[in-house]
Amino acid sequence: MKDVMGIIYTGENDALLRELTIIRAIAALPVAGRFRVIDFLVSSMVNAGIRNIGVIMQKNYHSLMDHLGSGKEWDLHGKINGLHILPPFLTRENVGLYPGSLDALRSNNDYLTRSKQELIVLSNSTIIYNAHLDEMISFYQNTGADITLLYTRDPSMRRDEYGTYLSVDESGNVKDLEVQPTHPTYENTFMQVLVIKREFLRDMVDKAVAHGFHSLDRDLLLRLVQEKQAKVNAYEYKGMCWNIDSVQSYFRFNLDILDPEKRKGLFREDLPVFTKVRDEMPTYYGDHCKTINSMLADGCQIEGTVENSILFRGVKIAPNAYVKNCIIMQDGQVQEGAYLENCILDKQAVIKRNARLIGPEAYPIVIAKNVVI
Amino acid sequence: MLRKKTCIAMLLAGGQGSRLGILTKNVAKPAIPFGGKYRIIDFPLSNCTNSGIDTVGVLTQYQPLELNAYIGSGAPWDLDISNGGVFVLPPYQKATSLEWYKGTANAIYQNMAFIEQYNPDYVLILSGDHIYKMDYNAMLDFHIRNGADATIAVREVPWEDTSRFGIMNTDSAGKIVEFEEKPKNAKSNKASMGVYIFTWEKLRYYLTEDEADKKSSNDFGKNIIPNMLNDKQVLYAYDFVGYWKDVGTIESLWEANMDLLESPMPIDMHDKKWRIFAKNPGMPPHYIADGATVTDSLITEGCEVYGKVNHSILFAGVIIEEGANVEYSVIMPGSVIRRGAVVRRSILAENATVSAGAIVGEKEGNIAVVGQGVNVPAGASVSAGQQVDENTEF
Repeated sequence: MKDVMGIIYTGENDALLRELTIIRAIAALPVAGRFRVIDFLVSSMVNAGIRNIGVIMQKNYHSLMDHLGSGKEWDLHGKINGLHILPPFLTRENVGLYPGSLDALRSNNDYLTRSKQELIVLSNSTIIYNAHLDEMISFYQNTGADITLLYTRDPSMRRDEYGTYLSVDESGNVKDLEVQPTHPTYENTFMQVLVIKREFLRDMVDKAVAHGFHSLDRDLLLRLVQEKQAKVNAYEYKGMCWNIDSVQSYFRFNLDILDPEKRKGLFREDLPVFTKVRDEMPTYYGDHCKTINSMLADGCQIEGTVENSILFRGVKIAPNAYVKNCIIMQDGQVQEGAYLENCILDKQAVIKRNARLIGPEAYPIVIAKNVVI
Repeated sequence: MLRKKTCIAMLLAGGQGSRLGILTKNVAKPAIPFGGKYRIIDFPLSNCTNSGIDTVGVLTQYQPLELNAYIGSGAPWDLDISNGGVFVLPPYQKATSLEWYKGTANAIYQNMAFIEQYNPDYVLILSGDHIYKMDYNAMLDFHIRNGADATIAVREVPWEDTSRFGIMNTDSAGKIVEFEEKPKNAKSNKASMGVYIFTWEKLRYYLTEDEADKKSSNDFGKNIIPNMLNDKQVLYAYDFVGYWKDVGTIESLWEANMDLLESPMPIDMHDKKWRIFAKNPGMPPHYIADGATVTDSLITEGCEVYGKVNHSILFAGVIIEEGANVEYSVIMPGSVIRRGAVVRRSILAENATVSAGAIVGEKEGNIAVVGQGVNVPAGASVSAGQQVDENTEF
């Protein structure tokens, strides 16, 4: 896959993620005990042999930059290609805040021009998947399409008023799109991942922005399909995927992967997921602890009870503390006698002795980073 | 021309480690997994990184493939730098000679050209046999402050054990007045740890002299140190205080692993200022199922536990099936304990399988060992102290 590059756009709307995205982009959200959302996207690309990846940053991108670093963990620290972090910048035409992904791509025209690969895999960063992108690229090449879109039939990916839905015929051609419909009628959800020729994308983006367009889906894809200006087809992703667009869907994703089948669908031996390493020692389980149906990263110290929960690296659960249906991020602490149910604790949150926090399952309590309760 | 270094490290990793039995059949001792996610060599390498020593030569000879692959570019220890870093140094053919490393001193002698590239003032000699955290930089300061020619790290051992060690007799300032190899009636209980700092100029001279002596066994403890003392060179003993464990035998390797389950842990592995770095296999967090029981254990990424685990250490990707029972054991990466199997007081090497209903180890007695990739068939049993490899008939 020498001739393919990747671009990840991380500027999505994150209002429904409340405190979780105050300090970070969705792409930088900690998930599944030791990963960030972007790890799945970058790893999928790297596993497909892509060696040149640009990450377009928008808001709160410090934690994302900190996480990606030089790209070493994904073997993207090469001399020829590698990881390119593309933060917003101010110029006469560019005010730094992108109204849509087309503007973001237009602003990074230099990077697109400078790169040498013929094809681009373009991905947003709110959907977690682990795909054989190499197969999608082969499909693109074999069908001679101008654009190939990745989609899923998974009904849990459909959202009223959000997302883009596709009508696809038997040979995979896209007949029509629905962009942000009140109720989607097409069953195929566009996963915001597409393959396109680099020159074609540059040309399209340039024209679209010149005409005052901002949205890739509504202003570019929809037009191309409706006016039959390009051959747009679609490739079905049959694996597990989750859209992390609200606190509820974030919570659901984390608890979903406690199911061994779903976990195996995401963490596949042939498609490893790479992330930044923290060099913590293995997790220690004390003499009187109890652990039920939970996933724990390294560096935790468990003395209390953990049930249906996900614990990130370095979490401490004191004796007689009880956590149930909780997601506790890095270095969180739950002290003696505390009881937590349906809570999401951001990094370094501390729950003091005998505190009780019980959230409704449908609307979990979010404790912001560094908060002590 | 490479830039000059004040101090570089040479890590002796070529020994077979035959006392570890089948565990070192295919791998060199320093590459043996330890403590749930490490290998023995992570300790000296991480100590180097944490001590600010960024150039390390690793001398390999016995079964080096796995060790070479593990060290790779040195990235896990931040040793993938352009001026220095970690180098694997196997014996190589020279214009006038071609030989294996004959002893610890000869291994360094054969790599003098490597050391000379960095023109160091001091050379730190390490081995890959011990679990410990040590600030080599503090030892180097001590060496420089004393104007020593060589400094030997020592630790106090119980008096009854002195006859098993190289013992340093020192004056009150720590200057070594006498060295006794395994003395019957020791005058001191300061035992050498096999960690040396030499002023490079001196070491170069003594290595060359030692090589010329055909009767020498080319060993630091037996030859170089006694020769320097005879010549009235300035040798100091540096007192090391802290956890230090030789993991040269099956029993001691098992004990050192079990030490990590003590509370408080005798070696602080949570210390963020002195992390032990390791290569990471990139697996998801481990999973403990409903119905599993895990107590007093260390478990790392990629494990799946459905059965019972007590007082044990599970490495990456280990699977404990429902109804299996593991206690007082060390289960190395990728091993699987099937339904209803029992594993007690055992070490399972990488990718071993204990099939349904099989029994490995016993409640009492010596540690049982299952070799790399070995499958203990259903219903079979491995008794205490027994070592099974692929040739064992069940």
